[in-house]
Order: sequence, then C-alpha cells, then structure tokens
Amino acid sequence: MPTLSVAGGGATALGALLVVGFVVAGLAAGDVDWVRLLTTRSWDAPNGAFGVTAMLWGTVAVCVIALGLAVPVGWAAATALSEQLPPQLARPLRTGVELLAAVPSIVYGLVGVAVVRPFVSSAGDVPGGDSLLAAGLVLAVMVLPTIVAVSVDALAAVPVATREAALALGLTRREVIRSAVLPLARPGMRAAVLLGLARALGETIAVFLVIGRADGRLPDPAGALSSLLAPGQTLTTKLGGPEPVLAGAVGDHRAALSAVALLLLLAVAGATLAGSRRGRVRCVARIRRAGRYRLATDRTATWLRFAAVALALALLAGVVALLLGRGGSALSPAFWVTDATGSSGGGVRGQIAGTVLLVLTAAVVALPAGLGLGLLLGEYAGPRATRALRTATLTLGGVPTILLGLAGYAFFSTFLGWGKSWLAGALVLAIVAIPVVALTTAARLDQHAPARREAALALGLRRSQVVRSVLLPHARPAVLTGLLLGLARAAGETAPLLFTATVFAGAAAVPTGIVQQPVQALPTHIFALAQDAADPAALASAWGSAVVLVVLAGLLLLAAVPARRRLEASS
Amino acid sequence: MSSTTATTGTAVHADRVVVRTAERVLAGPVTFTATHGTTVGLRGPSGCGKSTLLRALVGLLPPGLAVEGELHVLGRRLDGAGSLSTLRASAGLVGQSPVVFPGSVLDNALFGLRHVVRAPKAALRERAVAALAEAGLWQEVRDRLDSPAEQLSVGQRQRLCLARALALDPQLLLLDEPTSALDAGSRDVVEASVQGLRGRRTVLLVSHDTGQVARLCDEVVDLG
Repeated sequence: MPTLSVAGGGATALGALLVVGFVVAGLAAGDVDWVRLLTTRSWDAPNGAFGVTAMLWGTVAVCVIALGLAVPVGWAAATALSEQLPPQLARPLRTGVELLAAVPSIVYGLVGVAVVRPFVSSAGDVPGGDSLLAAGLVLAVMVLPTIVAVSVDALAAVPVATREAALALGLTRREVIRSAVLPLARPGMRAAVLLGLARALGETIAVFLVIGRADGRLPDPAGALSSLLAPGQTLTTKLGGPEPVLAGAVGDHRAALSAVALLLLLAVAGATLAGSRRGRVRCVARIRRAGRYRLATDRTATWLRFAAVALALALLAGVVALLLGRGGSALSPAFWVTDATGSSGGGVRGQIAGTVLLVLTAAVVALPAGLGLGLLLGEYAGPRATRALRTATLTLGGVPTILLGLAGYAFFSTFLGWGKSWLAGALVLAIVAIPVVALTTAARLDQHAPARREAALALGLRRSQVVRSVLLPHARPAVLTGLLLGLARAAGETAPLLFTATVFAGAAAVPTGIVQQPVQALPTHIFALAQDAADPAALASAWGSAVVLVVLAGLLLLAAVPARRRLEASS
Repeated sequence: MSSTTATTGTAVHADRVVVRTAERVLAGPVTFTATHGTTVGLRGPSGCGKSTLLRALVGLLPPGLAVEGELHVLGRRLDGAGSLSTLRASAGLVGQSPVVFPGSVLDNALFGLRHVVRAPKAALRERAVAALAEAGLWQEVRDRLDSPAEQLSVGQRQRLCLARALALDPQLLLLDEPTSALDAGSRDVVEASVQGLRGRRTVLLVSHDTGQVARLCDEVVDLG
C-alpha cells in the first residue's frame, strides 16, 4: 500500500510538473518584457508585439457578465431549494441541477452557437453574434449549476436545530433564513462563487466558439458597453487557438504565450484555492426593527426565489429540448453504428470507440494513482505534508484543461515524439480524473475513519494491516464514486485532446501502437463540426454527437448514484 | 500467550510523565506504578488529560503531542526499540464510545485476532467466543453472531469492544471511561465484567465517576 501511495503521489507530481514545466520551459525560450506585455493591447506576432491587456479585458468582461447573472439567480435558487420548497420537490430538482453541472462544456458551446449567438445578433445588431456578451451569457448558463449545487450543500449543512431555535422565537420564515441560516451558510456560498469563477476563467471551448477571437480589442472610454457587443479574446481562447502549437511559435513568441498561460494559471489557482478554503463563520446577526409589512416582504422574497428556481429549471429544460430537438439524428440506431463520412455525414461509430478507449485507458491510470494519492492525503502524510499535498491536488484539479492539453502536447507529442497519440490523450485525461478520485477518497477517510483507525491500532494491527482491513473497505465506495465522476468529466473534455490525440477523420478504429496513432473522439468531433456553423448538416451532426456524448457521460454518472447511495447508507 | 514479562511485578511505571504540545501541558506530571493483577483508577476532572495519558501509554497520541518523563509499559520503555503493534496487542485500549467495524458481531470479536495471531480458524473462533463470554456478552449474542454489529445496542457494542480487546489475551487493559455512553443497566453489566477481570489482568481505568472508581479499583491515582 505505501508503494501505491508513493506511485499516486508521484503521478500527481508528474502531472503538476508537466504543467509547470511547460510554462517554465516556455518562459525560458525567449524574453518576456512583463511591463510591455501587461500594458500593450496589440498582439501581433510577426512584428514582435505581444500585449495582453485586451485579453485581460476580455477575460474580466466575460467573467463579470457570467457571475453578475449567475450569482444572484444561483443564490436565490439555492435558498429556495434548500429552505422553502418541500423536500419531495426539492430533491429531484437538486439532482437535475447536478446533472446540468455535469454536462460537458462543448454542449454549452453548441448552445452558444445555436441560441445565444443568434439572440445577441438580433438583439444587439451584431453581425454573426460573436461577442464578449455572447461568451458571458454562455458562461453564465454554464456556471449557474455549479453555484446552485455548492450553495445548496452549504445551506444544507446548517443544523436543523438552528432553524428551529429561530422559528421558536417567532421569526418569519424569511427572517429565519436571513438571520439564522444565511450567516452560517455564507462562507460556503461565497466559496460557490469562487468555484464558479474558477470554472469561468478556465473554460476554453464554449467561449472559443462564440467570442469571435479578435485580438487587440479594448473598449473606448466612451463606449465600454458597446464593446461588449463586439468580438474579443480571452486568455483561454488565445491558448486554445492554433498559435501555441504552430511550429513558428518559438523564442519570444513562445515565451509570450507561456506568460499568458502563467497569468491564467495564477488566476484560476487563486480562485480555486480561495474557494476551497474552509472559511471561518462569522455570525453577525442582522437585527432589524420589526417592520409593518413583515409578512408582505416575506412573500415578495419568496416569489423572487421561486422565480430563480423556475429560471434555472427553464434553462435545464431548454438544454434538454435543444439536445432532443436538434440531435434527432442520434435517435436512430444507425447513427451510433456507422462511421462518419465526408465533412458532416454518416454516424459516429469511430468517435464512440475512440472516446471509450480514451476513457477506459484513463481509468486504468487514474484508479491506482487517485487511490494512492487519496491514501497519502488521508493516512500516510503528516499534517503539514497533507496540507501542502491537498493544495497541490486542488490546484491540479482546477488547472484549466487547455493548459493540460498544451503541456501534454509539448511533452508527449513533441518531446517524446509520439505525435498525435491516443495514449497521450488518455494520460492527459487521467490527470483530469486523478484529483477527483483522490479528493473523494481522502474526504471519505477523514469521515468516520479516524475512530476505526485508532480502534484497529489499539488492537495491535500494523499500519499496512489497518490500511488493508479498515481504511480500504471503508473508502471503496468513495473511490468508485470519485472514479466515475472523474471519468464523466474526462469523457466530455475537449481541450486536452485537441492537440494531443484526436483527428477529425481517418484514424484507425483500433490503434496498433503509440507513436502517431490518433483516434477520433466525440468532444473534438463536436468542436470541429460546431466551427462550421454555416453548414446545417454539420450542425445537425454536431447535435447528434452531443446527444451521444451526454448519454455516455450520463451513464457514468448514473452508475455513480448507487455507489454513492451505498456510501451514505454505510457511514 | 505472548507473555514476555512475568505475570508478577510491574505492568506500568510512570515517573513524572507529562504529555504536551509545543505550547502547553495537556496531562501530568503524574507518577504511579501499576502492579500486575491490580485494577488502578485514574481519576480527575474533565479536561485534565486522563484519556490523553491512556493513549500515551500505547503510543496513540495524535501528531504534535510529545511525552516527557520515564514511562515503562509491560517492561519496555515507550520510546525504546520494538514494535508498537506488539505492545498494543498486549495492552488493549477500549475507548469512550464504542467503535465497531463494518461486519458481523463475530467479525468484530475476531478482528484483532485475525491480524495479530497466527492460528487455525477454529482456534481463533474459540478464543473469540471465550472473550465474548468474559466480557459478559455471550448470552446476548450467541444467536446473532452473524448479524451486523451495528445492530447491537450501545451497551452491547461497548462490551463487544471489550471482548475484541480481551480476545488477544492482553496483560494490560486500558479502559477509557468505558461506561460514560451507557445507561445505568448497561453500566452495571460492564462493571461486572471489569470486576471479573480482577486479579487476572492488570486494568487501568479512567473515569470521572468517583463511585465507579471506588467500586472497581484497588488503587486510585489522582490527576490534575
């Protein structure tokens, strides 16, 4: 078991090293003039001008739009779900929201192409609709489920006794929520926003499809708002474009791109770590004079919250309706079992096979590595090492997947000379899944296990026996749940595969080696088709593929449900 | 069984023992000797470090806590060489609230045996059954040895933990408030089992219940 833990720790270290090494090696490849980089707006590689202010503006603008819309709606919906709706109704709604949070981001990208872009185009008189506003709206829809799900968890953690004590004093329901529940839940709800922010900052694919990717756009002082209706660029979309993998991106150009990667990494790591910190609860009771319209205000607040739930549900229903309405081709079995033909015809058999191969290989790597790292976090490491490792694992889990993809490209495809290889893609996907497995395992070990661990040690068991006989059986359902959740996430990832593993067409059904053995995969297939949005046949095929992808990821999630139920029952 | 020390003489010897973090003292200083076969009570108000001291005897302190002073348990210095697992197997600690492992009643009684003692299955089972009897639980569980241990009442679970430790035939038993989670009836049953050990095993009993200490112990050490 210690061997497994060391292997797990090693795998994580390698994953972290991959990303850090990619950034550091890139920065070392040329000179970065940080002052000019941070103060120049134009990015003109052939003429050696590298400025990121326009990308920073784009990033800030889309994140502010996304959070500005998603936070109030998300908090209100979470409050209604946790505090006001009857449990029989709230429970299925919660599950629905969690499912929405697990929808692969490429699907949100498709929603952006199909709905948001035309909407912005007609409402704002923007040709094509590619704009910061469209990107912000897509991100708002994408991070809303995350914010609701994490906030509901924070609210549910407030003890029932707190609510009863406040109700017993004659407070109205709204006053109970305001004065007793929210102060206790607020740190968790704030963490929900930070995690949503981390997701928004790091998202590449969905934004890529609707932002227009125009360099050097900064708002005029007079028309900041109108610039939201113009195309732009964010840090992630810059990295998601073809530039980083061009053979010409060497020297200062490569260094500047690595600086963009570093900025992105720092921003996302900051948001992830701040969001995962267990905040201290400051219970500042809000005492207000009893108003004359207590009950009326109560009703208004309630209706607003219900409206927020209805909006979240409408989004869920909208996504499902879009998938079913436009992805009709996936309803015919032929789509699943025939190969793709031409640029938009045929089925997706090859893509399904490729995705399954990638996910299975990732599972083979992520299971032992994640379990080992989880044991290291929960059992073997000392308190200080645990804190450091936890931070590293959280950070790795939050690294924007486009950076994983670029790092994988630099290491596996270029340095090791694998070119486009299914194994490179699977290994990068494993890095996506490992932190999920490890953190779920460690959380399970922190809960209940310490008492049993001590009881077993007191009977004279050696540590290896304690791990095998007490901790592993205790953690098994969590390991399984973590693996399935991690794989569901990995299955929908597009960005890590773009440069490392997949081609649009022409890959062998079963790879026969490692070097230059690409596969076809569903997410990258959808991504390629979605960029060809002018062709209705391509879009129809993209929606069909999206249905297949959602079904596959959904099957993994559904498989996780019984495991999680057993987990909750046996604790 | 695994007796490496004589059954007469000193089981525990503590000389000015202190348990502390870097900043403050959590228990002690305490000096006492427990002779083999006696029951010694450790008494004191809540928070004076009774449980901490008991855990220090078998090296089960949480990280960051250190022991100072002379401490000999079953003939070996605690900071000396030798495996802690071996010491723990012969010095059974039973905690304040019963911790049962997932599995049946018999699985739990066998839990330590299976890992620590090499013997045929039937022999292990025999020892587990004998331990259940010694803990005063056999009559109640003989028909449900294969049902989940979690279905037992708190009092029964506490005696199951006692049996689990007794099955290893320990020379020393460390009981940490063994009845604090129990109702009066269950308390009497556990006390009777502890009383039955008198003279045969060394028992260190931590309790804030002065009546209980008076009923069960040959000697009393006051802490704090």
